[in-house]
Parts: sequence; structure tokens; C-alpha cells
Amino acid sequence: MLEIKNLTKVYADGTVALRDVSFKVEDGEFLIIIGLSGSGKSTLLRCINRLVEPTTGQILWDGQDITAADQTELRHIRRKIGMIFQQFNLVNRSNVLTNVLTGRLGYVKQRQSLLHRFPQADRELAFKALDRLGIRDQAYKRADELSGGQQQRVGIARALMQEPHIILADEPVASLDPVLAHSILEHLEVLNQEEEITVLCSLHYIDLVQRYASRVIGLRDGEIVYHGSREDIRRMTDAEFKNIYGQEAVRVGGGLEGSVGGSDDKTI
Amino acid sequence: MTKLYKPEQPRSSLVTGPVAAFASCIIPGLGQLLALQIWRGLLVLGSMASILGLLAWRAVALAPRETGLLAIFSKALARRPFFIGGVLLGALILWLWNVWDAYQQAEPQRRGGVAIFALILFLFFTLGWQISEINLYKAVTELPDVWPLLSKVLWPWEAAVTRDTETVIATAPIQIPCEGSAPESPAPIAGQPYIIAAPTCGELSYMDENNDLVMGTPLHLEGEGFAPNMKTQIYWKDSVGQEFHVRYQGEYVDVQTDSVGEFEVDLVMPYRLQPPSAKGVQLHEVQARQVSEVGGLKPSEPLLLSVERMIETIFLGMMATVFGIVFAIPVSFLAAKNLMSGSKLTLSVYYLTRTILNIIRSIEPLIWVIIAAQWVGLGPFAGIIALTVHSIAALSKLYSEAIEGINTGPIEAIEATGATRLQMIMYAVIPQMIPPFVSFSIYRWDINVRMSTIIGLVGGGGIGFLLI
Repeated sequence: MLEIKNLTKVYADGTVALRDVSFKVEDGEFLIIIGLSGSGKSTLLRCINRLVEPTTGQILWDGQDITAADQTELRHIRRKIGMIFQQFNLVNRSNVLTNVLTGRLGYVKQRQSLLHRFPQADRELAFKALDRLGIRDQAYKRADELSGGQQQRVGIARALMQEPHIILADEPVASLDPVLAHSILEHLEVLNQEEEITVLCSLHYIDLVQRYASRVIGLRDGEIVYHGSREDIRRMTDAEFKNIYGQEAVRVGGGLEGSVGGSDDKTI
Repeated sequence: MTKLYKPEQPRSSLVTGPVAAFASCIIPGLGQLLALQIWRGLLVLGSMASILGLLAWRAVALAPRETGLLAIFSKALARRPFFIGGVLLGALILWLWNVWDAYQQAEPQRRGGVAIFALILFLFFTLGWQISEINLYKAVTELPDVWPLLSKVLWPWEAAVTRDTETVIATAPIQIPCEGSAPESPAPIAGQPYIIAAPTCGELSYMDENNDLVMGTPLHLEGEGFAPNMKTQIYWKDSVGQEFHVRYQGEYVDVQTDSVGEFEVDLVMPYRLQPPSAKGVQLHEVQARQVSEVGGLKPSEPLLLSVERMIETIFLGMMATVFGIVFAIPVSFLAAKNLMSGSKLTLSVYYLTRTILNIIRSIEPLIWVIIAAQWVGLGPFAGIIALTVHSIAALSKLYSEAIEGINTGPIEAIEATGATRLQMIMYAVIPQMIPPFVSFSIYRWDINVRMSTIIGLVGGGGIGFLLI
């Protein structure tokens, strides 16, 4: 169980990204975080594996305080937390296999890995992961030769190599078209259901939220303003919607399976 | 929702138009300053002061012997009427324009206008033309002087190839002055060249008290047994063994042999600067020389030397680049802010490295080579050290800026896998670094080869060594 307690993040320039955020995530949940750009979704996810150092507050994972971990402990925690990104964050000039193998860096011996040597078992694991995501035949291509959807699948394969207990997904489909978005989220859903990996995912599209989330958190200006189950999302009222996305936001398509559009400067 | 566009209220002026104009009339730019057009006022004031200052400096340079402002300017005006007059007129126009401009600036609605700066630029351009001594007339009229040099650069092969030469010499003794028995010309030997001089004694040319040249004894030479139809040079060997090509009325004395290899020539015993101690009888020698080329073409000494030095230069540049790269790579990581901003300690290392690099880079390789030559002696090694030092500083900066410019996404992603810092650099930074590293390194080699030419000039070996 992941428990976030009174988490606050103030950046060096004084921006308050998170304001006293507390919530719990049970193992095996598919938690989706919604909110406007700049509402603190990315910061929240990055605080969990401390890519961003929280200012105050605690993050407890099965009783261990992540915020108090030293460097070695932190690396051991991080390797159990996979992460995928909106911009995929692959090393473009390296091939797909190398990119996937970097998921094992937390486990392998440093000296070996600096020479680009990985144990045979890891290479087999990498091919298994690529197989699972249907991109085995791309293994020796350069990462930037792949299409966006394929690149994100490489990103998932990389996260999978960590044999993670949690996957943090920071707007994983925001750079993809709707069809690819569904396929990527389906991959995450399969991992969530078959491997019981907890998924924390930030998303923009309400219809995707309704389809995949087991629970939803809404953030606005660094504060939690909405908390609901998958069923709650379908019944989301206009008032709740405006509470998350602001008073000027316009809801397009209504509730069930609807998509949402906003005013000119609030694209959702 | 709708936001009306409201233009920002222009800053009002402290004074009215006429007051501003009057202020600018006394001190250019003051009116603009009072109109709160600060930058404009400072620019006008600075420009006016610089233009007048530079003009005064040029006027003094044109009339170095004059004293007094008026005398200097009238002399300078006489020497360069267009330049001095033009700039004075321009400065006057600028002054008037500045007054009018101040009047305009005092009124917020009439602000703007950049034409005055065009005039300022034009005045600076005129001053620059004179200060840098541009002379188009000379460039056109003396264009032919370029050809001999340029043709040597474009077509260096005449100096690059040569043939072996063989010199045939016949000599005859000459006694200075005529005292006792004059020496005989050597007896002719059949089949060998010989010359007969008449007379075999006499006086050299000399300078009298009025520094006028008094001709020495006329000399008639007859030669036989030389190669036919060939240029023969007449040389003189004086009593101390110095040999020189004889001149008569400014021209070298050369004669063409006839079809049977004989010649006759008249000359005058040449001028030699005689030390006062040179008294008594001296034995000189007159020589006839035929220089003929034998054998095939071969590369000349300068060509061989140049090729040797060129190879030295290329390797000098290469070694310096390789050493530069080897040292610059680790240093560049220390000088990359995005990698070093982790803690206070690393950040201070970053600032220290950057400062040291800036200092090293600001010192010319020419200076470094002097220091290195002091250390390891003149030669290519000193050049390598100098270029290496400079390459490390330059490449480290370029590399570290390339590191700072990389995509941070992969770094974040690799960190998130639980990788160590070294692993992160190996997998996220280095793959992104390869293209800029390669291109900067090749560019640096290019610079180093070019620079080693100059380095050689101050003792760093390579082709530049030959320019001394």
C-alpha cells in the first residue's frame, strides 16, 4: 500500500506545485489523476520516486518512508517503481533492445553495465517483454526510427524490465492518437490485472478515465479537489467538473463516454 | 472574458519641447534625457562625444607639428579636406538634428524615429574609413604589384623543382697595383677552358674625397675552350678570397660564347671597399664561369623542407587534438551545469572549472607556446603542448555546452529505473553526446592544423617555422 501524507512541494522559484496532498493507494489499483496542465499531476508522480524532492510530507510504501530513504535505499525503491512518460524519454540514438535493457540497470553490476554487458537472463527477459508488447521485430532498430505508439511500448517494456510493483505513468498517451492511446492503456490494464501492478496514471481524456480507472483523483492548483470511483466518474456533475477544471471550462459531450473540450486556453 | 487592449501610457516628459531643445543645444542628448528618453539621450551624448574625440585624434595625427586647436584643424583640413570637412559638417548636422530631436522627444506622441542613428552610424563609418587607412585609389593603381607574389602562391612549382648544376671555372691572376713583375695568365691547356687577361695588373675602382667613383684599369678578357653558345659570367675574387659577380655600369658582366666556345669581353677592374690597412701588393683573380644544369628535374630543397614541415604540422595538429579530446571529455562533465547542479559541492566544482577554462581560453596559443618552449625547448613538442592546452579549454566548453543542451527526458527515465549516476551518464548522456562530440572534435583538428602554422612562427615547429 502506498500512502501519501501531507505532501507539499514548493519549487525554488516559489511556485507551490503541491499543497498538503494526502491519499492512499491500495495494491493493484488503477488510479488515474486528472487535472489541468500545471495542476501538479507530474510533480505528484515524480515525488513518489523522488525525481522531484518533496518539500514536506511523507510517502509511505508498505511502511517504508520513501522521503527518508538514503541514496542506496532510494535506488532500491526506484527499481521497483516503473515509470513511463508523455515524451517516452527513450535514448533516441540507442537501439530498442538497449533502451529496454536500461530497465535492468538498478539490478545489474555497475561495472558490467558500464561496458554495455548484461546477463543473458536479462536479455531473454528483454525479448520476452518486447514480445509481450508486440515489437520484438524492432529490437535492433534505433529508438527514434519507431512510431510514437511503438516508442511508448518500448517505454512500457523498459518499465516492465524493472519487475515493478508500481508503474507511474505521466500522461502516457498525450502524444498519441486516440486509437494508440487505447492500445497503450490496454497494455497497462493487462499489466494491472494480470501482474497486479499498481498503476498511477495522469490523463487528460475523461472518456479514457472512465474506461480504465479503478479510482480517480482530481487535482487543482496542487490540491486534491475530487476523489471518486470509476462509477463516480460516470456520474460526475457539472459542478464537480468545473471544480476540477475551472469555472470557464466547458463540458463537451456530457457524462457517459463523453469527451470534454474547454475554452480557448483550457484544452482538456 | 473579453479583455480590452489598453496601450501602455507613454512616460511623460519632464520638460516642454523648447526647453528640451535648448538643453540639447548646450549638451547634446541632455534634452532627450530630460524628456525621459534615457537610452536615446545617452546614445546621442556618447556618440557625439566619441565622434568629436575621434575627429580630434585624427586631426592631431594629420598635423603632428601644429599646436593650438585652430592651427591643427586648419592643417588637417588642408591635408584631408573631404574627410575632416565632411565629418565636421556631419557633426554639425548631428548637433542641429539632436536639438530638433529633443524637441520632438518632449512630446510623447512624436517619439520614435531612428534616422538620427543612421546619421551617427554613417559618421562612425566615415571615421572608420580614415582610421583604418582604406585607400581604394591605391588598391586600384597598385594592383599590378600583386601579381608577382600572387603568381608565386598560385603557381609555386617553379621554386619547387630544380636540377643539379655544374660550374666550369677558368681563372687568371690580377695584381693590384702594378708593381714589380705582373703575373702571367696561366698557360692554355688544350681541351680545357682558359682565359687570358690583359693587362694582369692595375688599379681597382675607388671612391674619391667627393664620393665619386673613379674607374679602375680597363681589362680585356679573352676566353677559349668553353662550351659554345652559352652564357658566361665574369666573377672577381679579391685578395681575401671573396668572390662576387662583376658589375659594370650597374649591369652584371655576362658574355655569350661563340660557336667554338670563345669569347672576348671588356670590363673595368671593380670597386672594392678596402680597409685602410690594405697596403702593398695584393693578388686578385678574375674568373669566367659557365653554369650548366645537368640531370633530370628533382624536388628543390625548399620543397622537401616544406613537405617535411607540412607533415610535421598535420601530426602536430592531430596529436594536440587527440590530447585535447582525451582531457576535455572528463573536464567537460565537470563544466556542465545540468550534471553538476546536484549539490553545493558539485556546483562549486562547476564554477571553479568554468573559471579556470575561461582563463586558459583567454590566453592565446601564441603565449602558451612561448611558455611551453621555455619548458621543453623550441620545436613541435612545444607547439603540441600549447595547442593541447588551448584545445582542452575550448573543447571542454563546447562539449559541456553540448551536454547542457541534451534532452533531459532520458536522464530522468534512466534515473527512475534505479540506475547509479555513472550508469545514467553512460546510458542517457553519452549516446546523446556522440554527434556533437565528433563534430566539435573534427572542427578542432581543423583549427589546430591551421593554428599550428602560426604556432611555428614563434618556435612551435611545423610549417610556420619556415616563415621566420
